[in-house]
Amino acid sequence: MPSSQAPSIAGNALDPTAVRPPLDDAEIVRVEPGELRAKLTALRAEGCSMLLDIGGVDYLEREPRFDVVYHLLALPLKAASVAEIGRPRRVRVLVGVPGKDATLTSVVDLWPSANWAEREIYDLFGIVFSGHPNLKRIQLPDDWEGHPLRKDYPLRGPAREATPRPPFALKSNVPAGTPPSGKVAAALQRQIARARGQEKDGGAA
Amino acid sequence: MSTGTEAPSATPAPLSAEVVARSGNTMIVSMGPQHPSTHGVLQVVIEVSGEIIERAEMEIGYLHTGIEKSAENLFWTQAQTVVERMDYLSPLGNALCYVLGAEKLLGITERIPERAQAIRVLFAELTRIASHCVWLGTGGIDLGAISTFFYAFDIREDILDLQEVAGGARMHPNYFRIGGLNGDLPAGFLAKLDALIAKFPQRMRELRALLQNNPILRDRMIGVGVVSAEDAVRWNVTGPSLRASGIAYDVRRAFPYSGYEKYEFNVATRTEGDAYARFLVRLEEMDEAMRIIAQVRKELERPGPVLIDDPKLVAPPKETIALSMEALIHHFKIVSEGIRVPPGDVYQAIESPRGELGYYLVSNGDNRPWRVRTRPPSLYNLQALELIASGSLIADLVVMIGSLDPVFGEVDR
Repeated sequence: MPSSQAPSIAGNALDPTAVRPPLDDAEIVRVEPGELRAKLTALRAEGCSMLLDIGGVDYLEREPRFDVVYHLLALPLKAASVAEIGRPRRVRVLVGVPGKDATLTSVVDLWPSANWAEREIYDLFGIVFSGHPNLKRIQLPDDWEGHPLRKDYPLRGPAREATPRPPFALKSNVPAGTPPSGKVAAALQRQIARARGQEKDGGAA
Repeated sequence: MSTGTEAPSATPAPLSAEVVARSGNTMIVSMGPQHPSTHGVLQVVIEVSGEIIERAEMEIGYLHTGIEKSAENLFWTQAQTVVERMDYLSPLGNALCYVLGAEKLLGITERIPERAQAIRVLFAELTRIASHCVWLGTGGIDLGAISTFFYAFDIREDILDLQEVAGGARMHPNYFRIGGLNGDLPAGFLAKLDALIAKFPQRMRELRALLQNNPILRDRMIGVGVVSAEDAVRWNVTGPSLRASGIAYDVRRAFPYSGYEKYEFNVATRTEGDAYARFLVRLEEMDEAMRIIAQVRKELERPGPVLIDDPKLVAPPKETIALSMEALIHHFKIVSEGIRVPPGDVYQAIESPRGELGYYLVSNGDNRPWRVRTRPPSLYNLQALELIASGSLIADLVVMIGSLDPVFGEVDR
């Protein structure tokens, strides 16, 4: 169920990335999921040595539903001065990923830094990166249900209340005797009651 | 003890925090997330053979608060308050990056008054010093140098005072606005700033005297956690940690923003790539930041507006709303509905104290951002710990974490 807060983009631009000329220093490339690896390999060979970031965007009503955005930067692989670096080339590679069976190829073997970035997108968007060596949740607990950065993840309201809670958040999973509801709390209560009783006695005497 | 001959298998099975098991000569130990030297809530699961770390795997996410999701559900103007909470040691750095990105989407970058830009640079550099002070103080404590902490926090305290005077709060002043600043510098600010500028060189001399040639500190840091230039680039390390490996990439120089091209400063660089090099780079950066502050200070003599004059984007001053109907309406609209940002996407980067901080902002034309993706420098710098930790001593792990200077508000968001 769509979150009550998420404004619909139907009627607005379905793809905000395509409606305006580029606003920043990056070259923008849009590729199909099948071409992604070949394109990134080529860019890496051209000198885009650093994979700055991988981000995800959920456009919900658009097809393909998701965009995964690769930010590349061309830095030398050896010591270099400010003048030698100058204004390095920036490239932004956007790839559309369908909402059904959202899968992309992992690039961890090209850039080790992609490891956590891909895990985070898997965790928060539910996009699977095939070939990733250790694809598991990174920010959320392993038993979390759903992918919170999807626009249809219920944020609050009845849909949120109906969403199953993770086991650690359930009261029934708290072992008996755990403060403050268990024996310790009861013992404290007795102690407090005793102290108050003595105080009253002392005051009367 | 490991003989170092057995090569690790190509794809090691993931370590599990729950399993604390002996297998052969190695033992799996969990360090953190409550360990005081992990600078927050980092859990490092290490496989050790004796004192040598064979493999380290990090567990993050203990501080995940869904800031990116929260930002999508707030107005453009409100989201700035939550992004400030990511890197809580340089809140105004985050605010600056977000605000610059939103201004690019609005197409008002050229219209930001010069005085506002100068004051933004002033606070960006002040928070850089304050953030490095925390790194220096806590990093010193990791190595047993307790007194450094008090010297460093003395400087930081002065800077937090300045933030409080200007923005009203010590930690999260929320002083920047899309379109300029919340208000001009109040009376008495410049006198406080002058006092800090005057006292700073002496304080830095003391810090250097305490630490730089301290034999214990040198022994613990030199040759520890070496990152080569190539590894730094492939592992996406930025900021002081990248510059300590010899690559002088600084966003302030490569892609200047907010008028940085006007100021003279050196990009501190070393080539050793070890923890001591990162330490020296950060110390020099503090001096260079103060150099920029002194240049900005001269500019602040000239008065001028600090907010663009556009009632559709910035709320009119409070004094005018009792006198003018239009001002009242504009104020009401901006407070109750926020501002509408034209559709588009933009990537904005700044040089935060930890490296390249980037925001990938997507707008669909509404009054709420469609997506606020952060490129947190700490996340990627910290990831490189996996690379440098294997083969080192357990005691050195503490030094390495400190030298990468992660902030967990930003790693986990």
